[in-house]
Amino acid sequence: MNAWGEAADLVGAVLLLLGCLQCLLGVIGMLRFPDVLSRSHAATKPQTLGMLLVLVGVALRLRHGIDLGTLALIVFFQFLTSPVASHLVARSAYRTGQTGSRGLLRDDLDPQLSDGERQGE
Amino acid sequence: MSNLYRDRSPYSWSFRIGGGRRVLDLPLIAWLTVIWILLWGTLSWANLVNGVVVAVSLCLAFPLPAVDLGLRLRPLGILRLAAYLLYDMFSSSVEVTRQIFARGLYHAAVVAVPLRVRSDLMLTATAVAVSNVPGGSVIEVRRSTATVFLHVLDADDPGEIESAQRSVWRMEELVARAFGTAEDIAHVTRPVPEGNPSP
Repeated sequence: MNAWGEAADLVGAVLLLLGCLQCLLGVIGMLRFPDVLSRSHAATKPQTLGMLLVLVGVALRLRHGIDLGTLALIVFFQFLTSPVASHLVARSAYRTGQTGSRGLLRDDLDPQLSDGERQGE
Repeated sequence: MSNLYRDRSPYSWSFRIGGGRRVLDLPLIAWLTVIWILLWGTLSWANLVNGVVVAVSLCLAFPLPAVDLGLRLRPLGILRLAAYLLYDMFSSSVEVTRQIFARGLYHAAVVAVPLRVRSDLMLTATAVAVSNVPGGSVIEVRRSTATVFLHVLDADDPGEIESAQRSVWRMEELVARAFGTAEDIAHVTRPVPEGNPSP
């Protein structure tokens, strides 16, 4: 293995570690935040970055064209599907009033929802 | 498969089988084939042929409604969007870490952000892009008024709400310049709505 290969291995290992740390951070956030909506912040965002870092790390260690394609596919679908899932969780959490015991400082959505119900939307 | 005719798009053909309308959309078939090959992990003629067969059968078995998505792929815009997304993810990860470890309580808020784009694709793509960066969680999207409702952590700081809105508008512009039609781009070059967006 040449120097470039070793460098790529090293950077890959560091990125794997960073990605795992990022995911750990997300889990800690889930434990610390009090309500569903805040937890969904912690559950989705650091995870996406963490997974991206892990996959780049894996890509740097594999270094095969077709494997890179597969990894890119994983990233693509992750980016496409995780917002849908988190949006649906957030939406149902909001509509069932799981906004936390402290309430919201400002809520632009509530009056619109009430309007919509009155107009029979 | 009698009256084969060309669809509006130059790359798709539609025809009727029995009572149902079927569309063979070449970009969709090509994309499904690429996914198939990537999933198998080897590029061979057998995989290519099988991929095309599977893609065509999928399109025939599960027809999608014929919609004009208005999707344009602009390589430069896509690069800029990707670079901005990456930058935003890294810079905001620090912020989220701070919020996670901050002592004490915070106030969250739900903020309405009216968008300037109107097309469904742009609305969806902007919402997806916003959800993927830390700082905003999309709770609700109102299609009729093209409004996105965000859940913002740390709303005690009034600057936080404004910066969340600004980042959505920035994202909207980048998305339109990456995937939008000329009309969408014209929409996002207009100034952002001023003042309090809530009705």
